[in-house]
Amino acid sequence: MYFLTDEERQRLLKGILPKSRSLEIAQELRGWNWHQPPLEPVYDIPLAVYEIAGKYCSTGRDIYLRRIQHLRAAPNKDMIMGSAFHETLASILVRAKRLIYLHGVDNLRQILKELPEPPQGIVERRKHDLSTEDCTELERRVSTIHEFEVARLSTRIQDTVAKQPYIKEDSLVATAIPVMIEQRLDGSFLGLSQMLSADAFVLPEPMIMDLKYGEPRQFHKLGTAGYALVMESLYEYPVNLGCVVYLNFNGDRITVSKDIHIIDDELRQRFMEERDQKARMIYEEIDPGVAKDCYPACPFRKHCK
Amino acid sequence: MLSELERPGQLQLRVTDVKQFVYCPRVVYFSYLLPIEKKVTRKMEYGKEEHIELDRLEKRRTFRAYELTDDAERRFHVNLSSERLALSGVLDMLLVQGNAYYPVEFKYTRRPPELNHKYQLMAYAMLLEDTVGKPVRAGFVYVSEDRIAYPIDFTPNMRKFVREILASIREMIKREQMPHRARQKKKCVDCEFRRFCNDIE
Repeated sequence: MYFLTDEERQRLLKGILPKSRSLEIAQELRGWNWHQPPLEPVYDIPLAVYEIAGKYCSTGRDIYLRRIQHLRAAPNKDMIMGSAFHETLASILVRAKRLIYLHGVDNLRQILKELPEPPQGIVERRKHDLSTEDCTELERRVSTIHEFEVARLSTRIQDTVAKQPYIKEDSLVATAIPVMIEQRLDGSFLGLSQMLSADAFVLPEPMIMDLKYGEPRQFHKLGTAGYALVMESLYEYPVNLGCVVYLNFNGDRITVSKDIHIIDDELRQRFMEERDQKARMIYEEIDPGVAKDCYPACPFRKHCK
Repeated sequence: MLSELERPGQLQLRVTDVKQFVYCPRVVYFSYLLPIEKKVTRKMEYGKEEHIELDRLEKRRTFRAYELTDDAERRFHVNLSSERLALSGVLDMLLVQGNAYYPVEFKYTRRPPELNHKYQLMAYAMLLEDTVGKPVRAGFVYVSEDRIAYPIDFTPNMRKFVREILASIREMIKREQMPHRARQKKKCVDCEFRRFCNDIE
């Protein structure tokens, strides 16, 4: 899912990457300048990236209800499904890495034999929150993702070993599976939570990846911008690229599309503006009011209407 | 002004409003909503004098700073407006080479262009596009002290951002709501509106 197709790689190498390298990002908007405005946090309200970037509720009242009114709402079906897909993908990628280290390159056959074993407990852990019908659907989709990813991983591992006969375990992992899954980040320099988790981080050219299930939305890019700023604040190297991976299902088939983008000045400013607005709303306990365009699956819907 | 304020969607704005709003949104707020006479600061007077001198010198220069060949043409103080965007402004200089148009803004500093200059240039480019009826891909901010023309490539996200700025200005004027002050305190030091911001020490 996180691996680029040939066309995407071409687009990245010939189009986006050179542009991102030549584009001058304003220094004041680099994460390492977190100690001065406009990045310096105004309020002492640590926010999660999803709270800033998740603009499903156009007024942000969902955050007000959760953080000020301390209301809890059960996650909707899409949220439950989405979390299961994230977990599935993470478990396969981590499992592939683990098998390489466990068996070693010399036991490639064993690695490839054990790789397809399905992940345990992903559906079971969620069955109390879903109807029987939804559970069956989730089960089918989890195994579709699993099969899709296993096939891609097997090919990547075999291709790498075929090309590099003397490769060792660590290098095989880094070459065939060059993504860090659920990268834990401390966002406190930027007034964010200390326990952030980016879906994936691609190593060769620093790129934040975010997996989304469903329709593309403009604000999805705010999430990658947030994580890029946090990485810059922590490690002081530029993170210019983001990629939102859209996962959808067409019957039993998976469709994957990727929105690779530059974390430019505009995206950074939008993220910081949103952070400041939301932090102020919580700090001053301002009720932003009910959105005019409530989305039907909002878990807080009954509290607003 | 009042009749225009009643239909804020149509409120005519100037490109300098875009620049000012990014620098400090309160400058635009005061300009439109407070009937106060703007004090002409020494900085402004100096800028005006520099402008005249720069125009004179620029006419004699080659196009090397812009990496263009000498068949390019310079047009000074180009009036631009767009009914569609309800926006107007006077561009310092327009470079034309064949079918390509490059807006140029002069800055009288030593510092590289800042974000407000970038969006000002983008706004001019959007006006230019409406005037000439074709896309404008890049422009320059000419920093006079160092004689460097900084090229700025216009991206779709920049265009969108300028539109968002225009919408924010109109919304602010419609609501008559005082926006947040400039985030960098140093901007307030020699601001002509400083005494009207009662939350600035």
